[in-house]
Amino acid sequence: MGFHLISFSSGLIQKQAVNEVMECNNYTKQFGLTLTESQAKDLVKTRSHALNANGRIEFGGGVIDKIMKVFCDSPYLSMHNYSKTLHELVEIFYYYKNETMDLISDDELIKFMKTSFDGICQGSLDLLSGRELYRMAKNLRMGYDFDYSENDELWEDEDE
Amino acid sequence: MNNHIEKVRILEHEKLNSEHYFQSLLEQARRKGLLSDTDIERIQYESIRLLSYKTTRFTSGESSSIQVEKAQSIMASNFFTIGICLKSCISPEDAVAFLQNEPIDDLYRKGRKMIDTMILKAKSVHETIQENLVKTQNVFYRSTIVDGINGFFRSYDADYQAHEIHITADYPIFNPMPRLAGIEFIVSYLDALYFENLFCSFFPAEDIHHLLCGYLADYKEHVINIYEWVLITAAGCSIAGTDIEHLNLTEEGKAYLISLFSEMKPEDVNKKINEVSDELSQYFSCSRKLALYIKNSMVLIAGKINFAVKENMLRRIFLTPSFPERNPKIIFSHGDKMENEQYRKVLEQIEQCENIGDKIDVMKTSVHSFADLEDILADAMLKKKEIKDILKALSMTEIAVLIKKYPQETLADITDYREQESILIESLHEYVGYLPKEQQESIISASKRIEG
Repeated sequence: MGFHLISFSSGLIQKQAVNEVMECNNYTKQFGLTLTESQAKDLVKTRSHALNANGRIEFGGGVIDKIMKVFCDSPYLSMHNYSKTLHELVEIFYYYKNETMDLISDDELIKFMKTSFDGICQGSLDLLSGRELYRMAKNLRMGYDFDYSENDELWEDEDE
Repeated sequence: MNNHIEKVRILEHEKLNSEHYFQSLLEQARRKGLLSDTDIERIQYESIRLLSYKTTRFTSGESSSIQVEKAQSIMASNFFTIGICLKSCISPEDAVAFLQNEPIDDLYRKGRKMIDTMILKAKSVHETIQENLVKTQNVFYRSTIVDGINGFFRSYDADYQAHEIHITADYPIFNPMPRLAGIEFIVSYLDALYFENLFCSFFPAEDIHHLLCGYLADYKEHVINIYEWVLITAAGCSIAGTDIEHLNLTEEGKAYLISLFSEMKPEDVNKKINEVSDELSQYFSCSRKLALYIKNSMVLIAGKINFAVKENMLRRIFLTPSFPERNPKIIFSHGDKMENEQYRKVLEQIEQCENIGDKIDVMKTSVHSFADLEDILADAMLKKKEIKDILKALSMTEIAVLIKKYPQETLADITDYREQESILIESLHEYVGYLPKEQQESIISASKRIEG
């Protein structure tokens, strides 16, 4: 008898994940951001899709609630783009978990995403995914610190 | 009256997979109605919960997701560990009852403890084996038993990859092993190796060496099982009445065995081999377990003999020792090669000569080493007859050196060589073929003993 991990676990896990997302509303509503149950279900579906697409499996509620709690105070989020942005952030997150070869923890990756999103990317998901996270993943794969920049070396050379 | 009540066998024990025991037990138990759908659902749920727990430990709680391949590998490791626990039950039916009454977590924990015990046992057997290694030049023997198994202990991860072995056990065991995984495979492999080594330890290492030289001159570079040949020869010596303790099966003894077995029916061969198995165990005062191991090996040996009788290949089954040290090596110096520029000039001079006499004169005056002569024979545009005339002027040792470089087998791959080199190869073998038989044999024998 084969246990098909994803198909077996998905039913149990999805229900739990929707509950966790809904519970998160209690925290995010102080920043004027909430999701309806239907939006929460869609977000969990996106997570399942992203996990599948990236060949990953997750137990428990996963990272959606973490992403929501970290990003809810972003100046670039409002009820207008909250749900859509969360979908993209979830997809980006799992994609870069693979790209970073699991060398970075969930919390570190989310923190880096938030800092870049609010800072240098000024709320642009394209810049976050296509430039900042791409560079960070490349650094990790090459054995550098994730925030290493070639410019740092140039500055050091000039100082010498 | 027999009071022993045998339990009813519901499951097909022989169809249970020894490598994936837990999964195959579940499958059969479900099919035979020993486990209900509720049982299966509970087992699935608890297995996923165990996987979730192990995944969190694996990522040190830093990642809530992992790649599916990794999860599957951890799951396989968990199942393997649970399988170890279930295998310890008296029967598969008992294992199913155990599975029904115990949570998966508990089965895993018990299996994990058993794995720790198995690792300790395997290490202890491995140490004993290392203390009594057969002193052999066979590279696979030592590289597997010492380096390979040590590598296994270094890399074995009982928590997350309990079903993996990470090494290739190149050195083969003679008796067939069940399909096993992880530490179970290593324990079984080492146990078998222990008995094989123990049997080999009854014989002096140099006698084993000479015996294996009789099998293959370069046995050291081949994947062979040493015990197999030692056991067959010991059995042969016992039947033929030759010196068992030195594995010295003489040519007369070998001839006797061939004539004896050629006349026998398969069942008589089996009977004879079974008898000799007992004789050997008695002769060497083998322990009960070793005697049993030898008995199991003898079944295979009887099969080999029966096959050899059918195929008329008994000569290959019974070996006589060979003593390569009695054929001293020939050290041959090829000398230094001339400079490339000078070599080109000599080649041109040879090719400008009209007859072979002139060509030989150029070689005599300009070529001062055998290394250069070898090159010229393979490079200069010489005809077959011219090459043969040059070969006539060479000593038998020099011809043997050329035969070593271009042995008989090269004729089969002649198209792999350059045109002029293939002419040299053909000329060389034609030339040697016309020599008297004794001279041919001494050239071949010398070519095998040349070093350098």
